[in-house]
Amino acid sequence: MNVIKGFLYLLGFLLLGDVVVTLLGLPISAGVIGMLLLTGWLLVRGRMHDDIAAISQPLITLLAMLIMPGVVGVFFVLGDYSQYWLAALLALVLGTLLSVLTTLWLMSRMMPRQPKQDQADE
Amino acid sequence: MSDFLASYTALIDHLTATPIAAIAITLLAFFLGNAIFQKMGRPTWCPGILIAALIVVLILILLRIDYVQYQEGARWIILLLGPATVALGVPLFQQIHHIRALWKPILFTLPLAAIMAALYAILLAWLAGAPPELLASFAPKSVTAPIAIGITEQLGGSIPILMGGLLVTGVMATLWVNLLGRWLKIEDHRILGFALGINGHAIGTVRAFEISPTAGAFASLGMGLTGVFTALFLPLVWILMGM
Repeated sequence: MNVIKGFLYLLGFLLLGDVVVTLLGLPISAGVIGMLLLTGWLLVRGRMHDDIAAISQPLITLLAMLIMPGVVGVFFVLGDYSQYWLAALLALVLGTLLSVLTTLWLMSRMMPRQPKQDQADE
Repeated sequence: MSDFLASYTALIDHLTATPIAAIAITLLAFFLGNAIFQKMGRPTWCPGILIAALIVVLILILLRIDYVQYQEGARWIILLLGPATVALGVPLFQQIHHIRALWKPILFTLPLAAIMAALYAILLAWLAGAPPELLASFAPKSVTAPIAIGITEQLGGSIPILMGGLLVTGVMATLWVNLLGRWLKIEDHRILGFALGINGHAIGTVRAFEISPTAGAFASLGMGLTGVFTALFLPLVWILMGM
């Protein structure tokens, strides 16, 4: 019962997100706005909501399954895009290398040193 | 023989008239894929979701079910992504104390890191001659899938291509953080976790939890914030570029 009640809350925040997106004409998905509204509401509230926690944990565990039908599509459209293999390779392999390098460099400069842990300086 | 084939096709048409068959195939493949993934020792180079997707492809080919028919039924599963995305607000709220404690380094590094993750991909793909549809599919490649799907829909990209890009990016991010982290002699688990979450979304976060719980917590935080921030800034970039 709690799970269903929690689900109703999630649907409520999703619909609220949709209302905000539609009224303001935002180029953002309703789910993301709904997520931010939920986080904001929990912050105002100051503590976790048990019914929402009860549905969120299993739903997040199942995310991989909810996404999987989309992955199936790759194998059926790959042929249509085969001429762009170089663009895909560059963006995904080299692009990820560069962005990982950027993140590590930025973070190691900005992050305060961890207490009681010896580390070599760069 | 052709009689049998005709009645078989009619039967498949009948069964796929409702979403039940597609949902059953998806659930079956998910649990089978997960079991195989565990048997293989949870390899990072081959995420369980990829195994499950391949099982669906195999079932569709063996049973001669049209991909479009399957996708029609699977829409009911994908529909749950909306409430599941909202549910991500729960871990975000639970980690808010990390954000409060380290808001300064986060504010200075995360937006820039998230922007660069998208821009490198857009720029490199554009240089290699990719059309706008492909750029829109690769731009959110470091964002966790439920949010990335929303972004790509907004930008007019292809969801299947995005999903392929997400898988490759997750695996590559795990590999590069491993190699570059060692090369740069970075031993701070907070930094390694952050880098895994920002660049490698859920696949990187799973790897971070294998390093340590601290790395895992920072990876989830990096993944969540990257998703939110990218969802806010990429549509603006698209408007500015006039696409």
